[in-house]
Amino acid sequence: MPSSPEIAVPTRRLFLPGVPGRIRAGAGSAARTAGPAEVAALVLLSMLILVAIVGPMLSPYSGIIPSGAAHRPPLSPGHLLGTDNLGLDIGTRVLLGTRTSLFAALVVTALSAVAGLVIGTLAGFSGGVLDNVLMRVTDLFLALPATIVAMAIAAGLGPGLGSSMIGIAVVWWPLYARLVRGEVRRAAGSLHVEAARISGTKGLRLVIRHVLPSVLPTVAVTASLDVGGVIVTVAALSFVGLGSSAPAPELGLMAAAGLQYLVTSWWIPIIPGICVGLLSLLFNYTGDGLRAVLRAKGA
Amino acid sequence: MLRFVARRTGALVIVIFALLVLVFLISRYGGGDPVRGYLGANASTSAVAEMRTSLGLDAPVWVQFWDYLVRLAHLDLGTSLGSRRPVSAELGQRLPATAELALWTVVCSALIGVLLARVYSLKGRFSGVLRLILFSGASAPSFLLATGGLLLFFMHLHVLPVSGRTSYGASSGLTGMYVLDGLLTGNLAYAWDALRHLLLPALAAGLGPGVALARVLADGLTTGLRSAYARTARSLGESESSVLWRHSLRNAASPALSLFGVQLGMMLSSLVVIEEIFSWNGLGQFLVQSIGGSDTNSVATISLVLGVCYVLLNALVDIALALVDPRVRLG
Repeated sequence: MPSSPEIAVPTRRLFLPGVPGRIRAGAGSAARTAGPAEVAALVLLSMLILVAIVGPMLSPYSGIIPSGAAHRPPLSPGHLLGTDNLGLDIGTRVLLGTRTSLFAALVVTALSAVAGLVIGTLAGFSGGVLDNVLMRVTDLFLALPATIVAMAIAAGLGPGLGSSMIGIAVVWWPLYARLVRGEVRRAAGSLHVEAARISGTKGLRLVIRHVLPSVLPTVAVTASLDVGGVIVTVAALSFVGLGSSAPAPELGLMAAAGLQYLVTSWWIPIIPGICVGLLSLLFNYTGDGLRAVLRAKGA
Repeated sequence: MLRFVARRTGALVIVIFALLVLVFLISRYGGGDPVRGYLGANASTSAVAEMRTSLGLDAPVWVQFWDYLVRLAHLDLGTSLGSRRPVSAELGQRLPATAELALWTVVCSALIGVLLARVYSLKGRFSGVLRLILFSGASAPSFLLATGGLLLFFMHLHVLPVSGRTSYGASSGLTGMYVLDGLLTGNLAYAWDALRHLLLPALAAGLGPGVALARVLADGLTTGLRSAYARTARSLGESESSVLWRHSLRNAASPALSLFGVQLGMMLSSLVVIEEIFSWNGLGQFLVQSIGGSDTNSVATISLVLGVCYVLLNALVDIALALVDPRVRLG
């Protein structure tokens, strides 16, 4: 991913192990294929998503109505993950929170990817002044500290899950715009696009039929690698009070509200945190496997 | 080199200007109508219009933006709704706390990065368990690391304090960074105590960036150890550790350093969360308090300060990189 000399900023996503970018420059890593660990992560992830969708319906408890004694530890009869300070069933709330996290992360990632796809394609395919302007704007966004800006935007819009999602999407699309622009330029120079151009295809049709198909897999893989990061970011914004307000079952909020009970009932703040970590881990792991498989195919 | 610095500084100015515009828009238009908020929903239309004029809120946006810049230049940042004190006073008091924590976080993540990279390059690159640990470290939210760390080191092992910056009360030293103050005044007990308070928050914030650093360094180290210059060094009789630390690490340092600038952004946002958890009275805690009090102006101002710090540090990292690596400044 080339950075312009003007504002030289590598992509922010680099904390994720193995994301293509400046840091991979000297990497002598051979293409791996998905091993049993990746497959296991994929299976676990699918199960988790299924449970998050169906689970709350199967649970006998409500996420916001107390259902028993307060401060029951995990593995108590009737409450597998215990209850919180109000006597709410943590298991049920964590399932609901997982569902919210997944929803928010998928929407934010999809929005950013689509916005980046449109802007990146426009820049990469048009070239010239438009390309220059769009990429300067993109670089500008990349140079700002993402999560801090997302927090400021969400605070300006007024706390709420929707505001956090908008705030994060605003700082997340530039990554895709850069990626897509590079891929489009690469694809536009390839022989099959040249052939299509010579045989009279042009404009939107050329882009959609001949350029985008080779760009989309890369975007899809990047997006799948990104979901884990977005989940953590959504949780962080919720933790500092920019998500829904209590008693909404949001994972970051649950961890923040339970913090004062860490000494007496550790499970109240810890279990939602573990849930966020697990979700993000599974997404990162499967995303990385997907990338490896795709790279092995492409190479 | 001078051209590179000039170019980088120009970009810096543009980015800071964009940040100013963004923060102005948020503090001006975020958080509802300030006049209505002040006068109440039942105020007459004429009273609202009058106040709007007297506050200059009916002036064109660019005039208001200019006023905003002038006020910023005079450090007139408004009043914090929570403490009823000027925001600038709050910022001045809290900046050293955040700076100290950030500094030690950087130290921690650099140590973690180099150590993990060393282990990684020893074991063969994709040794499964280590890979899982690295992935977990990069995936865990910082509030989980912080609370988990408290559970282990405070509640079970009783070796580290639970929160705050010191057990003795604020330092009277010059810098406002307690460890440094303790060392400067020769009060070693004070410095040691402050260090113990720092350890857990710095580790919790530094683990994620440290792991990311380890990945990059390990990549560089493994390529470096197989490279021609390593073979040359070995054939000249240099020991393996010298090849590793003197040659490979240096060559791996450049991409790692460029990653580090980016990691600072992540670090800043996890510092916000970490400060809240450890009652660390820095900018992050101020930010969370202002969010809780719906104090949009303070939130915008703190974001501006954190943002400018990030952008400045990144520029410094880039310039440092250009100093050590000619490929960057000529590329």
